Amino acid sequence: MSDASVYSEPNNTFKNSKRNVLSIIVDNEPGILARIVGLFSGRGYNIEALNVTVVDIKENLSRITLETIGEQKVIEQIIAHLEKLVPVHSAINLADLNESYEAEISLIKIIYKNEDQNLKTLALADIYRTRTVTKKDGIVIYEISGTSERVNKFLDDLNGINGIKVEIVRSGPIGLGV
Amino acid sequence: MNNSEELNGAQIVLEALKEQEVDTIFGYPGGAVLPIYDAIFGQNFLKHVLVRAEAGAVHAAEGYARSSGQVGVLLVTSGPGATNVVTGLTDALMDSIPIVCITGQVPSHLIGTDAFQECDTTGITRPCTKYNYLVKDVSKLSEVIHEAFEIARSGRPGPVLIDIPKNVQLAKSVYKPRKEISFRPHRIKSGSTEISKEFIENLISHVKKSTKPVLYIGGGCLNSGPKASEELRKFAELTNIPVTTTLHGLGCYPGNGKLSIGMLGMHGTYEANLTMHDCDLMINVGARFDDRITGRLDAFSPDSIKFHFDIDKSSINKNVNVNFSTNTDIAHALSAINNYISSNNIEFNHNQISNWWNQIKEWKSNDCLKYEQGEETIKPQHAISRLNELTKNKDTIVTTEVGQHQMWAAQYFQFNKPNSWITSGGLGTMGFGMPAAIGAQMANPEALVIDIAGEASFLMNIQEIATAVQYKLPIKIFILNNEYMGMVRQWQELMHGSRYSESYVDALPDFVKLAESFHAVGLRAKNVSELDETINEMLSIDRPVIADIWVDKKENVFPMIPSGAAHNEMLLSQYDEEKPENQEKGKVLV
Repeated sequence: MSDASVYSEPNNTFKNSKRNVLSIIVDNEPGILARIVGLFSGRGYNIEALNVTVVDIKENLSRITLETIGEQKVIEQIIAHLEKLVPVHSAINLADLNESYEAEISLIKIIYKNEDQNLKTLALADIYRTRTVTKKDGIVIYEISGTSERVNKFLDDLNGINGIKVEIVRSGPIGLGV
Repeated sequence: MNNSEELNGAQIVLEALKEQEVDTIFGYPGGAVLPIYDAIFGQNFLKHVLVRAEAGAVHAAEGYARSSGQVGVLLVTSGPGATNVVTGLTDALMDSIPIVCITGQVPSHLIGTDAFQECDTTGITRPCTKYNYLVKDVSKLSEVIHEAFEIARSGRPGPVLIDIPKNVQLAKSVYKPRKEISFRPHRIKSGSTEISKEFIENLISHVKKSTKPVLYIGGGCLNSGPKASEELRKFAELTNIPVTTTLHGLGCYPGNGKLSIGMLGMHGTYEANLTMHDCDLMINVGARFDDRITGRLDAFSPDSIKFHFDIDKSSINKNVNVNFSTNTDIAHALSAINNYISSNNIEFNHNQISNWWNQIKEWKSNDCLKYEQGEETIKPQHAISRLNELTKNKDTIVTTEVGQHQMWAAQYFQFNKPNSWITSGGLGTMGFGMPAAIGAQMANPEALVIDIAGEASFLMNIQEIATAVQYKLPIKIFILNNEYMGMVRQWQELMHGSRYSESYVDALPDFVKLAESFHAVGLRAKNVSELDETINEMLSIDRPVIADIWVDKKENVFPMIPSGAAHNEMLLSQYDEEKPENQEKGKVLV
């Protein structure tokens, strides 16, 4: 018996699915985030990451960047539903563009117990060209930015160091078409 | 009115409604809307219809909108007033009915304090409206109301809610007329009125090639206005293509038209469903491939090229993948197609589909809607057939509740023009029909408005008879009384081994006495010899009438495509020996 809880999804949900980053321009008004999030939960779609910030103060616009996993057909449905929402100006799938770029930023706190662990961590941090935000008494916080994939790899490699404790915060991907 | 005169929020609401040419509003007062009720008092352009529960107001607004093509409007108070309309808002969203719902809210400074009759109205109604507003600033109120109407009626229509805190209703500002407001196009999302030449040419070339075409018509055709139905009829006649309609499409093509093959879907005709299954070209005009229509998806019309007209992009490729689609408004799209046909002198060879028509006639000869009316007990199908016959020369609008009677009404009543059939299709809301009839009668004072009802559904909004009586609305409530939640009983019979769990409606009221106690008229027919007389008497009375028609308790709705079955796996009648293979699988579906 697995220890899957009632909350876990069956593993075959994402058979033909792939990761998509959607970029949505919306009127910055009360309830807009609830509308977007409600659309996803109400129709059974998933949000893997979400980022919302005002990007045009004069026009009062926000850009929402949202990572979701789904089949092509489902993603097209999501976009059609997003475009129906009154405050939405545009919703695009970055994957549909000829050229687009993604980045995310992450802060990673490492609590180490000995110098060996510290050195191993430092070596990795150097390889990944992270920035040291702060460092004291067995705690160091690194800042890493780049594609989500790059951040994932760094975290994977950190996993290989025995005995350290890692605490993570990630902005989720943001992206722009060219 | 002086343009720079300051009004309070409540007066601004009334000014905006006046400019929107709203003549009727359905509502129920309460603490948080008293300023608006005060503004209603002592004016005369707006008729307020006092319902007996807020649920009645929203269905009445739906009935008003559906029968008139205008936006239906209602006004309710905060808290329970707002939560009572949630079902109706969802109903209007599912069936694309334009309504504007104004709710009172506790004063701004009390929002979030769990004040008396406070609820998070915009939060609760966000997923069941096309859009909603909480107006915190009275200077924005005019603009909000005009935009709300624009959103409700544009593109795919739907319900819009405006929540107005009591202090905003009392705060002062200058009314801003509609012409001074420029709507931002991204917020209105009206459908396109242009259609690509490429789409037209593709459609025509496929029609020319097809030997087994079908037109599949839905409620979108109704929502596009009477012109859409006219153009549809023209296109169908030019091409001679058989026409089947969904529950909401009934009337868009006349039921007595020579190309009509009846309603399709779960309780559609044998010929309509087999036509859908076997066709090589399907032209979907304003329908959404709903699960009641498609049956088992992987067996749905397997060999056809599919064209889809739908103003809502999210309806395209949602359930069924199509080959060609357009989001152009149907009236504009069909009119452009018809113009293209006539200006290019395109002719369609009707002989090419004569074998197809022969096949359809053969299916038709099966007479899938036949029933045997005996000497005594009234068959529900017979009751509807007689009602149809005896109202033939009248301007009739039929509303329904939800269940077996609704399906029999769709099958045995003939709808020959749009906006004469009002039913809750998507959500399937019991208790819809009587308040909807009230709304329809308000919009069409001269029409004969009949709510074809089941006794169980009728009981869900029974309080609204008082509304009909108060406003002297001569609606007829035609109850097919079988003492069961008939559709529930039917499913229990077919899929749950005839274990009739809780579907018998015991302790029913005496509907004749009940009508009388409400100062309406009650009539009853217990057997077939009394039926015509009762219907005629009902039609002759210029007051609200409840006709309690006792029908066969065990009758089921056929034909039926059980859930999870395909179009060609239909159950034809009570006496059908063939049980569908997927019965058990269908049990988990709805």
